Amino acid sequence: MKEKLEALLRDGIPRINGAKTEAELQEIKGSLLGKQGTVTLLMKEMSKLPKEERPAAGQLVNKVKTELSNLIDARREELKLKASEVSADFDWSVPGLPPMSGGLHPIIQMCYDLNDAFRSLGFEVFEATDISSEYYSFDNLNFPPNHPARESMDTYWIEGHDKGEAWDKLCLRPHLTGDSVRYLQSHKPPYRFVYPGRVYRNETTDARHERAFYQYEALIVDKDFTFTAGKVMIQTILSKVFGREVKIRMRSGFFPFVEPGYEIDMECLVCGGKGCSVCKHVGWIEVMPGGTPHPNVLRAAGLDPDEYTGFYVNIGLDRLVMMRYGVDDVRLFNSADLRFLEQFR
Amino acid sequence: MKVSLNWIKDYVKLPEDMDLKRLAYDLTMSTVEVEDVEDLGKKFDGLVVGVIKEVLPHPNADKLRICRTDIGGGEIKEIVCGGSNLEADQKVVVALPGTFVKWHGEGEPVEIKVSKLRGVESYGMICASTEIGLEDLLPCGEHEIMNLNAFECQAGDSVAKALDMDDMILEIDNKSMTNRPDLWGHYGIAREIATLYDLPLVEIKPYVPQVEGNVDVRIGNAERCRRFTATKIENVYVKPSPFKMQTRLWRVGQRPINALVDITNYVMLASGQPSHAYDLNHIVDFISARNAQPGEVLKLLNGEELKLDTDDLVIADAEGPVGLAGVMGGAKDSILPETTEVLLEMANFESMGVRRTSQRYDVRTDASSRYEKAIDPERAALGVDMAMELFTELYPEMKVTGYVDLYPTPIEKPVIDVSLDWLERRLGQRFSNEYIENKLTRMGFGVTIDGDNLNVKVPSWRATGDISERADIMEEVARVFGYDNIQATKITTTFDAAINQPVFDLSRRIKEYLAFRCNMQEVFTYPWMTDKTAEAILGDTSCLLKLSTPPSPTEKFVKGSILPNICDAVVKNERFYSEFGIFEEAQIFQDRDYRSTYDEKEKIPYFTKSIGGAFAATVSDVTALFRKAKGVIEMMPRYTHMEGFTFRRDVKPVWADNTVWLNIYVGDKLVGNMGLLAKKASMACGIKNLSAVLFELDFYALTPLKSRTNEFKHLPEFPENNYDISLLFDTETKWEKIYAEIMKKAKSEKLIKSASFVDEYKGKQVPEGKKSVTIRLVIGSDTKTLTSDEIEKVANTVTRCLEYTAGAQIRTK
Repeated sequence: MKEKLEALLRDGIPRINGAKTEAELQEIKGSLLGKQGTVTLLMKEMSKLPKEERPAAGQLVNKVKTELSNLIDARREELKLKASEVSADFDWSVPGLPPMSGGLHPIIQMCYDLNDAFRSLGFEVFEATDISSEYYSFDNLNFPPNHPARESMDTYWIEGHDKGEAWDKLCLRPHLTGDSVRYLQSHKPPYRFVYPGRVYRNETTDARHERAFYQYEALIVDKDFTFTAGKVMIQTILSKVFGREVKIRMRSGFFPFVEPGYEIDMECLVCGGKGCSVCKHVGWIEVMPGGTPHPNVLRAAGLDPDEYTGFYVNIGLDRLVMMRYGVDDVRLFNSADLRFLEQFR
Repeated sequence: MKVSLNWIKDYVKLPEDMDLKRLAYDLTMSTVEVEDVEDLGKKFDGLVVGVIKEVLPHPNADKLRICRTDIGGGEIKEIVCGGSNLEADQKVVVALPGTFVKWHGEGEPVEIKVSKLRGVESYGMICASTEIGLEDLLPCGEHEIMNLNAFECQAGDSVAKALDMDDMILEIDNKSMTNRPDLWGHYGIAREIATLYDLPLVEIKPYVPQVEGNVDVRIGNAERCRRFTATKIENVYVKPSPFKMQTRLWRVGQRPINALVDITNYVMLASGQPSHAYDLNHIVDFISARNAQPGEVLKLLNGEELKLDTDDLVIADAEGPVGLAGVMGGAKDSILPETTEVLLEMANFESMGVRRTSQRYDVRTDASSRYEKAIDPERAALGVDMAMELFTELYPEMKVTGYVDLYPTPIEKPVIDVSLDWLERRLGQRFSNEYIENKLTRMGFGVTIDGDNLNVKVPSWRATGDISERADIMEEVARVFGYDNIQATKITTTFDAAINQPVFDLSRRIKEYLAFRCNMQEVFTYPWMTDKTAEAILGDTSCLLKLSTPPSPTEKFVKGSILPNICDAVVKNERFYSEFGIFEEAQIFQDRDYRSTYDEKEKIPYFTKSIGGAFAATVSDVTALFRKAKGVIEMMPRYTHMEGFTFRRDVKPVWADNTVWLNIYVGDKLVGNMGLLAKKASMACGIKNLSAVLFELDFYALTPLKSRTNEFKHLPEFPENNYDISLLFDTETKWEKIYAEIMKKAKSEKLIKSASFVDEYKGKQVPEGKKSVTIRLVIGSDTKTLTSDEIEKVANTVTRCLEYTAGAQIRTK
């Protein structure tokens, strides 16, 4: 009897612990403890034992019965915890259903990132019209009367408005700076504003040149504003937008509407300044011209250049976005091609 | 522009240990952008001077020879060569094994190896000039190899040293010096370097003419020709210039021609001052700088005749024009092999005139691109100084027999006062008086400092528009110090008002709503439209503005509605997508209602900012697509926090289907349209398979809410019940009417909480002329839980109301 019971335990325990489902476990329970179960049958056999052995055997059988019963209950709890509504071969690697969602244009995303950064520094956002007069596009900006940019080869003039006085000549604005003067004229100093917008140049297009591109100007005009403060500002903004410290450098540059003028280079984010094909192996990328508004521009805005000065930058968003994502053809931005635009959700 | 560092060293003595990378960097940071630094000597790595000791026949080839050549260090090597001019004792260029050369001057450079040529081993190669890129400088005849006999060199010398090629070439971005006419020559760059590193600049010895007069030069237009110096030089002849000069020209990209022409080119590259040498025998009576007369022509070297414009300034003799002043010469003014007397012109022409002429004939020359930058007239003297030094050196036997210098109105040189205190405030850093005085003086400015006042006299070469006021002086001080080196200061201005721009915020909310809630993609298109699509969508194009010089002949209209380009974008994308939504926000313009926005003198045509888009899909039921779009428009005001829309049908948009369209209103103001794109218009745009529902909103007519207007309602205390009823209506009956009647009823029957449209059905189970509409009522009480009888009673009230007011019938099976 004792041997039989030990054999029962040796055999039964692994079966119970190996049960995969509650149904299987129930079956095992039946085969052990059920009416025809092994234990039950053993208990029946007990009557055949000599009387003096029965109490000890009875104790032993009961002990085994309780042990098996406890084990089965424990296994059932275990199985309940592991239970699932679906079969275990469920393929969790099938992709989920995508949420319904479109997206903003990658340039607008960059523009909004910059807006958020500049607004956090107290800048207003300004807008003006895409069509502007020669007066605002060139005269106010210290462009000499015969500057090449005024000619039709560089600027899109509007038919029927392409002759006469500077006021009468209308064009698709070739840059934003002219419109900045509108802001200066219509607000009271000191000024602190940004001006995102598209500009248009009559050029032959290729992977690096476009007829329509997005510029982002930031302008501060105040009394005795040093340009190094502007440098700190640009560094702050770019670091916020790109989420890491961005080194910039300023070097001598020339634009008619600033004096002094500089080119602002940003450390190439692709190679971290080590030099790569994106930055033509110099480690720096030219991202924006900047400068102090030219005294003539301040005069055009009705300000006394002896009293006021400022800081101006013009960020080419197309270029910045191209670098952000490694886009190699500027024309894609205006292509309305969803295969391109969908990549920037 | 290419700048030779060896050339620069003529004018400023650079320290031996100068770091050239640093120099390029400093120039880039302070003056001009150095795009590239080329170590020219490196190009000649592996090339050595060889001396042929013996020329032996090749056993297996008639055209090849075996040259026993001394390559230095007493080593004699056998080199197989096919050159037709091989001789013993000849100095030649040997490419040692491992060197890359252009085989026969063609294709990609290949590596020279010790190899057998027709069975004879050759140690390297004896080169022709084309094979090492020197064909312009040292041309040799066909099948000839380069002969170095004329050069002082020995076997084993590096060819770079023998040919004076150990030089660094700086490539400067021309665009970065358009405002600096003084930098368009080596002397000007040298002056910058001298300033940056505090080095002395070599003075150019002035030329003192021994004769005056004897040249008839006339200025016919003093505005356009501001100075004309002419030097008559006799007893010269055409010969090659010395190799030292040739190689210098060659190194900066100028092909050597002959000594007379080379001198003029050399002077231009040294000083930035263009000049010209005329063959005096061809000049009849006098030289004159005047405007072209009507009908005049200029004969060109290639035999063509150029019809001149009276705006052109020409150089003419008694017979007529011989050249376009500052741009190019004609057939008559060239140096010829028989030239013995020249007239050296060193003149100053006004920049815009040169530019106009240069553009008129589409000719850009080294001279015109320099004159265009506004060269100062005093540089003509520097040009003469440099040229005469060269003439004296190259033609010791020449005689100067005439000299005139017409300079009627000397250039005005600005004198600028700058407050040192102001300079400090603007730059955020104080520079010592010594620093400012030193740097400005080195650049050629006359400097006097008296207390706070810095008095600056601008030199002529910076006085042609470059430097005119104190901000310019500030720039000079700051840039030579290096913008990057100036200590950064914090932004000091403070503002107290928070930024509040509700209209700007609305634009962003609408775009984010369309993109993130409505599954649409924002696109950019050009501000012009294709003629075809503009006509298809807008019908009448007479109100559209046109571009004078459109990007293409079929894209002349300025964007007058957002929708044509949206339709073009649908065409582009339907190849790849069967369902999508796109939108754009852009300004649109029309040729009407001109008004002033900032200055009354400026009149801008009608404009607004427009937000529009398309829902495109292949659908069997276009009304479903329309409903989807309508949902987007309907919910837009709620989600973007602006004043709500109502829909009316007053004027059908030109492009819309006759039935499926709506006008969108805010109050009584029409703010936009939406509708199904009519089949005809859709086909005319080129849309092949998709149906499209379009919308366009006039952004400036939309009114953002000042703040959120959401209202809190208590959650119902007792259960509310959905109860659907289906009723038959005439197909003409609109939901708008049904809903209005239910809402009217709800005013008296308070248990009706709301009603909504579930669906409608037209077809077999419904009688002709009727539709079945399923309406979902929400029924509930604020004071108790309703029984099903009570709920049904309310529903029946609504049914009876609709029977009476909207002709509803109960559906019978």
